[in-house]
Amino acid sequence: MQRKSIPVVNRLGLHARAAACLVQSAMDFESDIEIGAGDKVANGKSIMSLMMLAAARGATLELTIRGPDEEQAMQSLEALILNRFGESE
Amino acid sequence: MSRLLQGLGVSRGIAIGPAHIIERDRLDIPEYYVPEKQQDSEARRLVNAVGQAKRQLRAVRKHISESTSADIVSFIDAHLLMLDDAALTQEPLRMIRQDGYNAEWALQLQRDALVNVFEEMDDTYLRTRKDDIDHVVDRIQRILLKRKPRRHEEPDSRLRGYILIAGDLSPADTALMQHHGIVAFVTEYGGPTSHTAILARSLAIPAVVGLREAGRLVREEEMMIVDGHAGEILVDPDERSLQHHWRRQQEDKKYYASLIRLKEAPTRTRDGAEVRLQANIELPSDFDTVREVGAVGVGLYRTEFLYMNRESPPAEQEHYDTYLRVLEAMDGLPLTIRTLDLGADKQISGQHAVTPANPALGLRAVRLCLKEPALFRPQLRAILRASAHGEVRLMLPMLSSIQETAQALALIEELKEELSGQGQDFNRNLPVGGMIEVPAAAICADTFADRLDFLSIGTNDLIQYTMAIDRANDQVNYLYEPLHPAVLHLIRITLTAGERARIPVSLCGEMAGDSKFTRLLLGLGLREFSVHPTYLLEVKQIIMESDISELTRLADAALQASSGAEVEAILAQHDAI
Repeated sequence: MQRKSIPVVNRLGLHARAAACLVQSAMDFESDIEIGAGDKVANGKSIMSLMMLAAARGATLELTIRGPDEEQAMQSLEALILNRFGESE
Repeated sequence: MSRLLQGLGVSRGIAIGPAHIIERDRLDIPEYYVPEKQQDSEARRLVNAVGQAKRQLRAVRKHISESTSADIVSFIDAHLLMLDDAALTQEPLRMIRQDGYNAEWALQLQRDALVNVFEEMDDTYLRTRKDDIDHVVDRIQRILLKRKPRRHEEPDSRLRGYILIAGDLSPADTALMQHHGIVAFVTEYGGPTSHTAILARSLAIPAVVGLREAGRLVREEEMMIVDGHAGEILVDPDERSLQHHWRRQQEDKKYYASLIRLKEAPTRTRDGAEVRLQANIELPSDFDTVREVGAVGVGLYRTEFLYMNRESPPAEQEHYDTYLRVLEAMDGLPLTIRTLDLGADKQISGQHAVTPANPALGLRAVRLCLKEPALFRPQLRAILRASAHGEVRLMLPMLSSIQETAQALALIEELKEELSGQGQDFNRNLPVGGMIEVPAAAICADTFADRLDFLSIGTNDLIQYTMAIDRANDQVNYLYEPLHPAVLHLIRITLTAGERARIPVSLCGEMAGDSKFTRLLLGLGLREFSVHPTYLLEVKQIIMESDISELTRLADAALQASSGAEVEAILAQHDAI
């Protein structure tokens, strides 16, 4: 199991497009991906549940990944979040 | 029975065609009990509807992806993922199977539950994302209710030749519609600088805005004529009007097509005066036209669009990337970037939205920017950085006092130091100019000319402020008189100030692009026009047929007139209108 806390650094937070990006990446992996923020936990492969986290800039995402490709999954999702989901700011 | 309706014409031309009304109806969601043995098929109905919604949306995506902004495409991608997401349908399916809700009702309850969560979010931007849920749910509901999807959202909507009627158009609507071959827009809201107006001018199709209740006064498929110059629409016209407008339309077409021969010719009057004809641009679709008509530069690049339809202002990098793209598209032509001209009829959403009782006289344009450095600094820094890559000029809108000007200039100097310190490239001598659109600035144009590198007269606002009328107010807009002698005097004063200080003065309002004013403006001494590229060649033709010496006398006579009507009579007498 991989576990890590990653801050949301893009300006608009985890909005629909950012969540879509995250889901698209998560889908590439077999592992189960759980993402928590505050007292809520979302399925990393469900855009709706990710949007419901209401994770604005500055929030911390708690990633828990279990499965055969958990290491690569963690690396790639961490990079995506820290790269602001490819947004300019 | 034919009916004549009056709105505000914002993009010229005549269009004839059937009406298509974009409905804004709220769907009536039925609520009923589904007996146990039908519950499985009811659940399948929902699953199938979601599948169909996905197919529709994929078709839209496939159709638009090549030429539409990445922004809109990524919204559609997000919506597709939402349709794929079990979180959307799991609970409704349970409600159908366990409690006998019908599919529409179950889906609506889930929508309400999801939207509630969004409404409780603290973050404004995230909160408004409930719109995404609504879009997705609306699409499924329409399928369940066997309602046709909104036609303009479909890829093969067969809207070619239609006149589109809407409350107002969103950028997403317009992006979807660019490919449909719509021949005119009519909207109930919006002004000359609304998104609809700008897009229509850019597509060179007629548009009438501010026609209240248009969606109620016209029926679907009803034949109509749109005159984008007069701002009139004629619904259900008789055979004679149809013939008449059809002929006008054909003549217009022939005339505009013939103008292209002027593209390469130097812009010079018959008696040899050189004139610079530049273009006003705003949307990427304007870029191609600029080159097609042979403009010598961009005299006005409006940047408001960077700020609209979003919750927070764009960051420096987004400004910078956009400006570089424009510079590249303009292929070496000089580019005059106007800093944010927000307020009055252009509002952004989000934290900077302001709706005072009298927005035209309020905190707008450079006033707003100076008060909100967080809004202004990223743009100024980006323009400075872009100036390292091409011939960029910076233009400040709506200056009214010299203190304001000094303050803006000081801020620009400060940012230059900042950029130097950070090792960023920029043009140290970036020309900074100002728009003269407040009578106070026109009357004191000398003092502005001494401190700035160029001036540009914005006639739309100059006329509005000189006449003390709100152009968007239909009770007084009959007083909007470009030919009022007061307006002409202010233009003359500004041109004289530029000559004295030996700096260029251009004119970039609607007046510059309206060929009936071209001769008068030449006579007043204007030698630099900045017009929408669609109108550029028309103005050029008039310039090439003009004699300055004659026109100077004409302008002098116009300045002596006592009313706009008298000026018009003088121009008509000399065949100059």
